[in-house]
Amino acid sequence: MVNKHAGISLLLSFFLVYPLSLFASENPVVSMTMLPTLAYRADTDVWMARMPASLSLAIPSANKGNVRGEVVLKASTPVTITSLDDVVHKAYLKAKFPSFRLTMGKTRLSWGDGRVFNAADVLYGSSDTALDFTQTELRNMTTWMVSINYPIDFFSFAEAVMMPSDTTDPTDMTFGGRFYGTIQDIKVEGGYATKRESGSRVHKPYVSFQGSFGPDWYLSSSLTIPVTGDIAQSTLTSWLASAGLFQYVQLENDRSMTLRLEFLLRPFGDWDLASALDNKNCALLLYPELNYAISPSLALSFQSILSPLDLSSKSTIGFSWNVFEGFSVLGYGSVTSGEAGDVFSWNAADSFSLSVGTSWVF
Amino acid sequence: MCKHDKSKKHLLFPLLLLLVFLPSNLSAVSAEEIIQKMDELATFETSYSTGSIQTKDRFGTKTSTFNAWSQGESDSLIEFTSTAERGQKILRTKGSLYLFYPDAEELIRLQGAALRQSMLGSDISYEDMTEEKNTLDNYKAVLEGTEAFKDTMCYVITLTATTRSVAYPVQKLWIDTENYLVWKAQYSTAQGRLLKEMEVLSTLEAGGRVIASETRIEDKMKRDSHTYMRLDSLEVNPVLDKKIFTLENLTW
Repeated sequence: MVNKHAGISLLLSFFLVYPLSLFASENPVVSMTMLPTLAYRADTDVWMARMPASLSLAIPSANKGNVRGEVVLKASTPVTITSLDDVVHKAYLKAKFPSFRLTMGKTRLSWGDGRVFNAADVLYGSSDTALDFTQTELRNMTTWMVSINYPIDFFSFAEAVMMPSDTTDPTDMTFGGRFYGTIQDIKVEGGYATKRESGSRVHKPYVSFQGSFGPDWYLSSSLTIPVTGDIAQSTLTSWLASAGLFQYVQLENDRSMTLRLEFLLRPFGDWDLASALDNKNCALLLYPELNYAISPSLALSFQSILSPLDLSSKSTIGFSWNVFEGFSVLGYGSVTSGEAGDVFSWNAADSFSLSVGTSWVF
Repeated sequence: MCKHDKSKKHLLFPLLLLLVFLPSNLSAVSAEEIIQKMDELATFETSYSTGSIQTKDRFGTKTSTFNAWSQGESDSLIEFTSTAERGQKILRTKGSLYLFYPDAEELIRLQGAALRQSMLGSDISYEDMTEEKNTLDNYKAVLEGTEAFKDTMCYVITLTATTRSVAYPVQKLWIDTENYLVWKAQYSTAQGRLLKEMEVLSTLEAGGRVIASETRIEDKMKRDSHTYMRLDSLEVNPVLDKKIFTLENLTW
């Protein structure tokens, strides 16, 4: 009898509290993308047909008060989910105190500038080439963290972050901080992070600048300094620089074009054309991007990561047509070119693929 | 008699002066004064508004809703509240424009030609939306005359850009002679090719001024493409948090 009452109470509580909790949040936002794909793998001479789909559900808190937060659940096929953490893309709160702001939970901090290459992204790393150009956000990794943002003046701030250890070992924790401000007409950012990478602790200082001389430009540089081994040599080898140019061009008949060119440079990386390169020590990589807007709702794009040393590349052409409110038709064709041992190779996964699908936000 | 004549002469002289100078005084309102008045009346010490941008084409209507705050001539903040863009913010202060994308927690600073990009696929650019209201800093104004527009007498003024940092090299404005509201505007290239045309469809009164509550922007380079901007509410001179036009608030 007691149990029955307890069950009814629980149910009643649920129905009473659930609507209240809904009123305390904004309407959830659902995004779904489905991209039926035909792919060819040259090394095994196999054609594959699949339908990658991704779904995200964002539940933000009400847009008022001194505490805000959001939960974003994300899942995609064919990725296998092994834990709740795989589904929870974001789950954080932000609390605004009189002189600083606290962020706690799973979210992202974007340090530095760069769509594909960003040497200043010392927290997550933006130098690898394993990118999927069919995604809107190319770098969207999130982690659990505690962060404090301290405004210095209206347009500059200092930020500190602590990311807990994945292994429960306190020595695996990540700590970092940055300053963001402007000097004259140039954005200046400088920071530092210390974390465990490949089994040992490293220190990662960085600087980042952004300005405009017609086209907008950005430039970042970072080092990874180990605490053991040949520190000087490892530090030199780790030197990473990235830069980018971005220009918007208005064309006839109100068409427009955006051009972006980024490069990633490892001055002490592997410049040897004869050796087998890999993207972790390749000295130079380029990212050209062109978006041609035929109208505000229809655009064509070209994106490529190019290794100029071995002339290998991974390129994607695409179109995006925003047909109805929140609904778009998308299409992509991707091809990898290069020989065995190059940074990109035709004889690797998805030598060629063709996708046409839709995305919807509601 | 003589005394009487003298007093008559005294009266006649100012009257003649008035008759000579009155017509020229009426037409002596300069283009610069009209533009200054227009800017002055379009600028509030502070304001808070809610509204929407609707883009109509042959596939239907796409609507984005927003909240906007402004302070003086050059500070403005826009926060989008519609589903697809919720939480995206644009902050404009003197000389800088910042965008905040909450999904990626990304703060982007725009300068140069990037400001001319279309905002949310509409016929409005970032620059249009947050334009600084100091027109004479960037344009030379010429008064072409007066003309009736929708039964309202308007000054017709041509603005020609004196800098390259503006969205439109030539603007032709129809400004109400009484309340200085811009009823119609044509935006052209330096060569005179018409790019966009704006027309006020309805007005509201706020803070003792007449404000456009609904405008239609027609892109002359595209067929069947119109953007409608609607103000659903406007609060004039509210007390705003002094930190509202800061990066701290932008990323909140």
